[in-house]
Amino acid sequence: MEKKLDLQSKNVNISPGEAVGVLAAESLGEPSTQMVLRAFHSAGIASAVVVTGLPRIEEIIDAKKKPKSPSMHIKLEKGVAGDYEKVREIRRKIEEVRVGSLLKGFSEDLKGGVMLLYLDKEKMAAYEVTQRSVVSRISKMERIEVSTEGDNTLKIKAIGAGKKRADMKEARTAFVNVRTAVVFGIKGIKKAIVQQTPDKKGYYIETSGSELEEVIKIEGVDKRHVYTNNIFEMLHVYGIEAARNLIANELNMTMANEGAGVSFRHISLVADAMTHKGIIMGVGRHGIAGSKESVLARAAFEETVKHFINASVFGERDMLKGVAENILIGKQVSVGTGTVRLSVRKEDLKKIKKA
Amino acid sequence: MVSGKSLSKNGSKVYLNGRYIGTVADGKAFSNEVRQNRRKGLISGEVNVAYVEKIGEVHINTDRGRVRKPYIIIENGASKFTEELREKLDRKEIDINYLLRRGVVEYLDAEEEEDIVAASNEENVTKETTHIDVDSASVLGLTMNSSVFPEHNSIGRHPISANFMKQGQGLYATNFNNRYDARAFVMYYPQNPIVNSASYRTLNLKKHPAGQNFVVALTTYYGYNMQDAIILNRGAVDRGLARSAFFRTYSDEENRYPGGQQDHFKVPQPTTEGYLGEHAYAKLGDDGIIEADMEVKEGDVLVGKLSPPRFLEEQTAFGIGEEKSRDNSVTLRYGEEGTIDNVMLSETKEATKIVKVRIRSVKIPEVGDKFASRHGQKGVVSLIVPPEDMPFTKDGIVPDLLLNPHSLPSRMTFGHMLETLGAKAAALEGRTYDGTPFSKEGSERVEQYGNVLKRYGFDSFGDEELYDGRTGKRFGAKIFNGIVYYNRLMHMVSLKLQVRSRGPVQILTHQPTEGKNRRGGIRFGEMERDALVGHGASLLIKDRLLDQSDKVDIWICKTCGDIGYYDYIKNAAMCSLCEGHNLEKVEISYAFKLLLFEIKSLHILGKVKLKNG
Repeated sequence: MEKKLDLQSKNVNISPGEAVGVLAAESLGEPSTQMVLRAFHSAGIASAVVVTGLPRIEEIIDAKKKPKSPSMHIKLEKGVAGDYEKVREIRRKIEEVRVGSLLKGFSEDLKGGVMLLYLDKEKMAAYEVTQRSVVSRISKMERIEVSTEGDNTLKIKAIGAGKKRADMKEARTAFVNVRTAVVFGIKGIKKAIVQQTPDKKGYYIETSGSELEEVIKIEGVDKRHVYTNNIFEMLHVYGIEAARNLIANELNMTMANEGAGVSFRHISLVADAMTHKGIIMGVGRHGIAGSKESVLARAAFEETVKHFINASVFGERDMLKGVAENILIGKQVSVGTGTVRLSVRKEDLKKIKKA
Repeated sequence: MVSGKSLSKNGSKVYLNGRYIGTVADGKAFSNEVRQNRRKGLISGEVNVAYVEKIGEVHINTDRGRVRKPYIIIENGASKFTEELREKLDRKEIDINYLLRRGVVEYLDAEEEEDIVAASNEENVTKETTHIDVDSASVLGLTMNSSVFPEHNSIGRHPISANFMKQGQGLYATNFNNRYDARAFVMYYPQNPIVNSASYRTLNLKKHPAGQNFVVALTTYYGYNMQDAIILNRGAVDRGLARSAFFRTYSDEENRYPGGQQDHFKVPQPTTEGYLGEHAYAKLGDDGIIEADMEVKEGDVLVGKLSPPRFLEEQTAFGIGEEKSRDNSVTLRYGEEGTIDNVMLSETKEATKIVKVRIRSVKIPEVGDKFASRHGQKGVVSLIVPPEDMPFTKDGIVPDLLLNPHSLPSRMTFGHMLETLGAKAAALEGRTYDGTPFSKEGSERVEQYGNVLKRYGFDSFGDEELYDGRTGKRFGAKIFNGIVYYNRLMHMVSLKLQVRSRGPVQILTHQPTEGKNRRGGIRFGEMERDALVGHGASLLIKDRLLDQSDKVDIWICKTCGDIGYYDYIKNAAMCSLCEGHNLEKVEISYAFKLLLFEIKSLHILGKVKLKNG
């Protein structure tokens, strides 16, 4: 058995000199070109605004700091996951509720520095928010005074309001801040939905918007099974290894969703290349390609003159180890059959000559 | 956003030819009034008006260049083109101008068309209908209308078929003998299609046919007509099927240059710069221009021309020396041959001599030539079979062309099959059939053609038993065959074939040239390179990108790393930077040498350090 396994693993081994990078690039690039062609067909369906397909792959590969549609998949601890009420309670703690979304309407008097907020009872009930909690949230804000003006009406006064232009501007920003203040939940999570697990035994939470750092602080959330598609949050909270896995996983899923099954070895190679320096680097001018050692390789890719000038300023030296450089000067590329070199010791050479 | 309704409260803006001219209270009523007045003849029939409801604007267009289409007007639910008028028109008592004046027919442009509800024919008229097409086929353009049965083809095939019909070789002009077109194709024996359409006849395309009626059998032939390949009968080809003449005109001018210099048409002397060798000029006449009816081949000079040198000559001690000249002759293009059809000499506006030489060559269909029917069914000849090996029917009919039956179902060109059937029946009757778009129901046609075929002792669906010409055995299935009008398209291998093993290189990069006329190669590009890298075929990469491309030996100074040169006088390698002799010969791509020189121009000195230095 062990022998068999050994043999198996040897068969799977990559031969020395195999151009794995080019193979990965070709394996990912070929289905991507087809995805571009196919993308137009599903353009009409606008229901889900989740970024998938080529745009999403682009996002990951280029290491975009802000993904267009961040989302989370939150699993809950065993005791909690089966209890719908408790899950709802957690959901309430996650989804952000802004003051503005609790209002029937408002009126503001910038000159007087007064704003009246008309709270909507039904909306408040739906969000399970009380008037008191809203007041206490607003009262924490600076340069603002809150007072209750009868039922469901709040009077907000901006401190230092005046008739000067600058004062009015200040009052206005203060009011806007009040209306966008988050009363409840985690800022940045626009929506959280409780979903039943496929086995119908428990529940989990899906969100649009991602805030990993805050979510794992909430009690009842299973910290080992919180999933976000924001790579940088993952890097920030769980470190580079987790980010690497996330990149690989996200790439794999988007490719698979488009019906393009790419072998995981190619995807994991890309993920490794993007993270092996401990930070996330995009594939491109500012990332991996820009950090190549060879001047000639960088110059051949983009911004030729800039690279040559910088190289001359610092007296850079190109050791001609890579593929692009060697093709440029016309040497045999050290890839595949080119990796092998004949080495004969000088003494042996003399022997051969004598013979 | 302002909605149209709130705008119409304040009236509608009126634009004349895109320019704002004023506002009216009710745009719709206004545009209707303009329309009525046009029909009454109070304003020109060339005025078109449209009320754009979405933005509440009235657009009136009277400018030139609008494409317009005639429609019959409906008033009070009844067509204004009455039976009475129809009879009069048939008797040629009235014409279209009469109908236009009477407001029976009007021309609408694209914008006004948006306002109407048009029916394709009188049967489809409903309450809302405001106009009827003059003919159901008028939804199609000129090219499609000259085709047959397009209503039975998939909509996506129409633009394809229209494109092919424009590329067909035929009799493009009856005075082609007196024309000097840069490129022209004239078919030897063009035929009129057996099945044609009303537009084909009215457009007088009879005088400009562009194809021939092929006997087509829908069958495979030993795997030679896979995909869109077609097989031709050599017997038919030898008898002139789809044969055509290709004309190409070369022209040249005696240009004048500043400083009183001028080109001269004459046979160059061997002392001329860039002399091509005696044999190249052998066919030229005394005037330096080739004689008519000469057989010419690639590289032959057609017009001998001497131009003044590119740069002004330096003054010698003896004053300006004898005026040198440079050979600037016109030679026949790469890969072409033919006979000189005609030579024309004339003068340009600037009073310089101009000469046009027309070459003619016969193009017999060969493997690689492109053919297409009128239904967007194109194909490339893959095999020309001796007539005795072709399949044949019991009557001894041998098809001219074998088409793979798989070309039909996926493309849904039922018109192709209908034409096959119809033309077969028409050929038996010895007459032509009409296939005007929308003129008859398809089932009716199949029945009609079937009856004719039956009458002549054929299967009513056009199927026949065929025998294999090679074995003499009958095929297991009955094979659909008939006649289809095929165009020979202007894309022929003999004009595209290109080959290079060694050849010219670019001056700047020392890399092989590009393009057929420069004897160029096929580019081995970035992605091709990546494929080889992916295979690890490093020596093959070197072969393609260095040995077969821009390999060069340069001298590299081991002392300073700069590029040196070999001094053949001193018989030693020299470094011009450090003036040493310690150099090594290195094999490198010229592109890299060029790069080093180019960055030198940026004041960056690229130094090369060798492993053994």
